[in-house]
Amino acid sequence: MVFHRRDLIHGVMTMGAGSVLAANAGQSVAAIPMPSRIIDTNVSLFQWPFRRLPLDEVDGLCDKLKELRITQAWAGSFEGLLHRDLSSVNERLLKACQNRPELVPIGVINPTLPGWRQDVQRCLGTFQMPGVRLYPGYHGYALNDPLFGELLAEVSGQEGFVQIAVAMEDTRTQSPLMRVPEVDPGPLKHWMQQIPKARVQILNSRPGAAEKSKFAAIPRVVFDTSRVDGTDGVADLVRAVGDDRVLYGSHAPFLIPEAACIRMVESHLDTSIVKAIMQENPDHFRRVSVSPPTDSGR
Amino acid sequence: MSFGLPAAETLKQYRIWDSYFTPSFSNPGADGSSRLIADIQRAMPAIETGHFEKLCYFAHVGIGTTTDRSLEDLLRAKPELVLEPLNRWPDQLLGMIQLNANDVSGSLTALDRWLRDGPMLGVYFPGSGPGAANCLDPNVATLVERVSELKGVIMQHTWFKTGGKRAPHESTPAELATLAAKFPRQRFICAHAGGEWERGIRAVRQSSNVLIETSGFDATAGFIEMAIREIGSERIVFGSHLPSRSLGTELSKVTTAKIGEKEKKDILGANYRSLLKPIQSLK
Repeated sequence: MVFHRRDLIHGVMTMGAGSVLAANAGQSVAAIPMPSRIIDTNVSLFQWPFRRLPLDEVDGLCDKLKELRITQAWAGSFEGLLHRDLSSVNERLLKACQNRPELVPIGVINPTLPGWRQDVQRCLGTFQMPGVRLYPGYHGYALNDPLFGELLAEVSGQEGFVQIAVAMEDTRTQSPLMRVPEVDPGPLKHWMQQIPKARVQILNSRPGAAEKSKFAAIPRVVFDTSRVDGTDGVADLVRAVGDDRVLYGSHAPFLIPEAACIRMVESHLDTSIVKAIMQENPDHFRRVSVSPPTDSGR
Repeated sequence: MSFGLPAAETLKQYRIWDSYFTPSFSNPGADGSSRLIADIQRAMPAIETGHFEKLCYFAHVGIGTTTDRSLEDLLRAKPELVLEPLNRWPDQLLGMIQLNANDVSGSLTALDRWLRDGPMLGVYFPGSGPGAANCLDPNVATLVERVSELKGVIMQHTWFKTGGKRAPHESTPAELATLAAKFPRQRFICAHAGGEWERGIRAVRQSSNVLIETSGFDATAGFIEMAIREIGSERIVFGSHLPSRSLGTELSKVTTAKIGEKEKKDILGANYRSLLKPIQSLK
């Protein structure tokens, strides 16, 4: 019988809470090897609608990614939150990512707009994007809406993945003129059963203990780490849903990109789990074939 | 830089003093300390990773700041339980007491017991729980007066929440600025900079005796840069909110800001040491 490393890790995960932590906890951060490639599954380009951000120019963001040794970043567009001409939004995103091999454009789709299927075709077909990003809270629909099911089936049928931003910021700090409730991911359980090919990532969730249990019950859905707070928040999420369902994401430049990065080491996660979250799981989710690992740190 | 953290030597040079350490914040455990101790231990990997020198937590001292009556009785009967964390980590921990503005008499007695005659360095006015009162409540002014006489530090929980307060006893930075104007010789720390910091910073901008504290909200980019621009580095103190928030969220706000190294040292420790100096000189 052949065991894959992923299966072995998952087996260990189910054995006990302490197993996500490094056996040699207490080692300095400098001694922890960084994965040879780091994939940030959650960045955005252009300007946040409500204030200027220190890294809201593409060159500045790319410089920061390089400094943090992020080798690949899946980039959405802040313009997609409020603009209705999403064709031009996605074209500008594609253009900004051209000649920047570290950026992977992820187009925005709004299924409440007429002609959204054409936007999907452009993003996944014409523009060769690997997936699309949704902002249900900002576009005015819930995940139990049949429209969402249609969209998920369409994207999955074209071999793409779907990222769902369940929030963009703390509801307590939003503009009073634009109060956007957090999106309930609960209905995903139904759609993931209905659409076996569907690949879905939840972005920007800040789950409490109850939400983590709820997440665990949604088959195959994966989660980013950008707002998973608490000193052992990432470890707790790994314990709740499994180490193969947590993907590194920063929500930069809205959030400081170093925040998510430091969280990967502050609670002494086992180095194999750090590598899974920052490299292997994003590759697996995107279905990228990767050469045998030569990882020895950088 | 590794994993977004400055080098260990740089972190040590910052001499980080954490003004807002929140282990088991609402209840130290039915036995008076076990949950609190466990939560401090839970935070230790992050504390070591960040090379913190000292951290200040907010003790319950049996004056009705929790909803657990038997715990309150226990803490009054056995005050040594309150001291357990300080005795266990004497080189790392600093303490302040949580006050109950709804029990002025009990709080005044506690101030004498723990600030005048004990090791505590200041007080925390909570934003929730049975001890919470709006900072413009006259009871708060009475307590501030006494804290001021004892040269204690005052940390006031504040938030500006979109949609308004969730409870009437919550305080906003604007309300703290009003209180602070009545006590010009006392300095106040505006915890969380109001959460919605763009409004919070503006609300206290003209109040030179109000400092802002940095923890308790997501690592939203641009916060420290705006704070430096509007109120200067001398009026900002670092808080970690560990372990319910993370080192990543809280430390990165300061270490990655586009500001000078001197400003980072001010925020991460120097300002807080300066605030504590008057009462520490009396111990």
